[in-house]
Amino acid sequence: MIKIENLTKHYHAAQGRVEAINGLNLEVDDGEIFGMIGPSGAGKSTLIRMLNLLEKPTSGTININGTDLTELSSQNLRAARQKIGMIFQHFNLLSSRTVLGNVAFPLEIAGVGKKKRRKKAKELIELVGLSDRADHYPAQLSGGQKQRVGIARALANDPDLLLSDEATSSLDPESTKSVLELLGEIRDEMNLTIILITHEMGVIKDICDRVAVLEAGQIIEDGSIIDIFSKPQKPLTKKFISSVIDFNLPERIIKYVKTERPGELIRVSFVGEKTHDPYISDLVKHYSVDANILYGNIDEIQGVPFGTLVLDLEGQLTNIEESISYLKSQGLRVEVLDNV
Amino acid sequence: MFDLITKLARYNDLMISGSLETLYMVAMALFFAIVGGIPLGVLTTITREGHILPNKPLNFVLDGIINIGRSIPFIILMVAVIPFTRMIVGTSIGTNAAIVPLSLAAIPFMGRVTDNAILEIDQGVIESAQSMGASPLQIVFKVLLPESLPAIILGLTLTAISLVSYSAMAGAIGGGGLGDIAIRYGYQRFQLAVMLETIVILVIMVQLIQYAGNQIASFFDHKA
Repeated sequence: MIKIENLTKHYHAAQGRVEAINGLNLEVDDGEIFGMIGPSGAGKSTLIRMLNLLEKPTSGTININGTDLTELSSQNLRAARQKIGMIFQHFNLLSSRTVLGNVAFPLEIAGVGKKKRRKKAKELIELVGLSDRADHYPAQLSGGQKQRVGIARALANDPDLLLSDEATSSLDPESTKSVLELLGEIRDEMNLTIILITHEMGVIKDICDRVAVLEAGQIIEDGSIIDIFSKPQKPLTKKFISSVIDFNLPERIIKYVKTERPGELIRVSFVGEKTHDPYISDLVKHYSVDANILYGNIDEIQGVPFGTLVLDLEGQLTNIEESISYLKSQGLRVEVLDNV
Repeated sequence: MFDLITKLARYNDLMISGSLETLYMVAMALFFAIVGGIPLGVLTTITREGHILPNKPLNFVLDGIINIGRSIPFIILMVAVIPFTRMIVGTSIGTNAAIVPLSLAAIPFMGRVTDNAILEIDQGVIESAQSMGASPLQIVFKVLLPESLPAIILGLTLTAISLVSYSAMAGAIGGGGLGDIAIRYGYQRFQLAVMLETIVILVIMVQLIQYAGNQIASFFDHKA
């Protein structure tokens, strides 16, 4: 388990003192994929680089499986780092070594014998699906392939923790998808803990179990993916979510509502199994209202259906009120849209 | 025309021995440039602020040594180190004596070339090695030197070519080699043909060194 307490990082820049991370607390469970998202300058890169002490914290502790990294001697820190893999936005492969040489590199550092190194490196290269590229140099690979080499390399010393520093940010959408899938598979297979930072909510949505939203060096909101997506609290969180799921009504609907003056407009949000039940036909049948779907958005977050519908309810006022309380009683989130 | 060739043929042995002396001086100085200059360059880079072993005082001294060594014109350096040359070689005249100032000029030159070559390496690559738990020594031998090898080889080529021209200057104070021949026969005895021949040989020598350097560097370069 990873436990971060009161973590602070200040440094001096030309503009004066910069407080990159401000008294941050965080716990990440074993086997979890934990995402951190934030705008640029929020301190996410500083934070992830402190988790293997590439960046030295100003104060605070970083406990990984019971060892406080900040208290280790440089020699013990080097040993501890061998159990923390890291992948980078720009891959950072050695241009002078082949794929095989790059993957074997951390083993070489750890003092593993040549034969064992080769065997292990070959296994990992096969795991990431690059067996036919083992003798190629990084310059001969595509971005997605380079990141696969980066992943294989990060796994060489059987780490407990994998840090991902914007690992998909310089990849095209297709490579991003396949790299994320690979990370998910690896977590399942090796029961690895993965901490990743990104500025893309899509990455969080696709593979994270939990997410923390970072702003100005602090976590402003965190929780399970479903919770955060279905009940975001802070404006920044809502903004990130709207980049993958759009909550706002399109211009066309707003215009329609303003000119046609329909009945009551409501927004219904639902998560999980509730999508299987026929609520809308219930409304029409039992509450004598007409429900017109103006706009909707149904998506899936890691296999859990999730969506919102904007309904125009027409009928008698009491019937409309009753139907709204019915929906609420079924555990759906209902918002009345008074002023569109 | 025929006359010129027979004239030159008379100096054939002289030209061959002169060329060999030049090559010998350059090779020896290059050897000392590798042994002295590359470690000097590596130490200078890694002690820089923000590199793997930052050490401001040491970096200041090393950087200073390189700058001072590079700012003294070779002809002055050659004369200035005569007492030192005598101490080491026993004489200040001849090919062996010339190797001392040539090496002293080549070491800081190679130091700067190595420093620049290593600085070219992406900080992220060094960081990734640190994230794997590599020690500074491992980073030097497994990351910095292999990654900058093509640039270092091109730097060595540059150093070798500078040494060819410096070695000709060493001829001015009795250092031997092609420069010595050019001055004694070409300049002092007005034998224009000999002068031209040494120039032709020097040009060919430089071309061959550059060609070989490019070939070796591209053999080790996998960046593109």
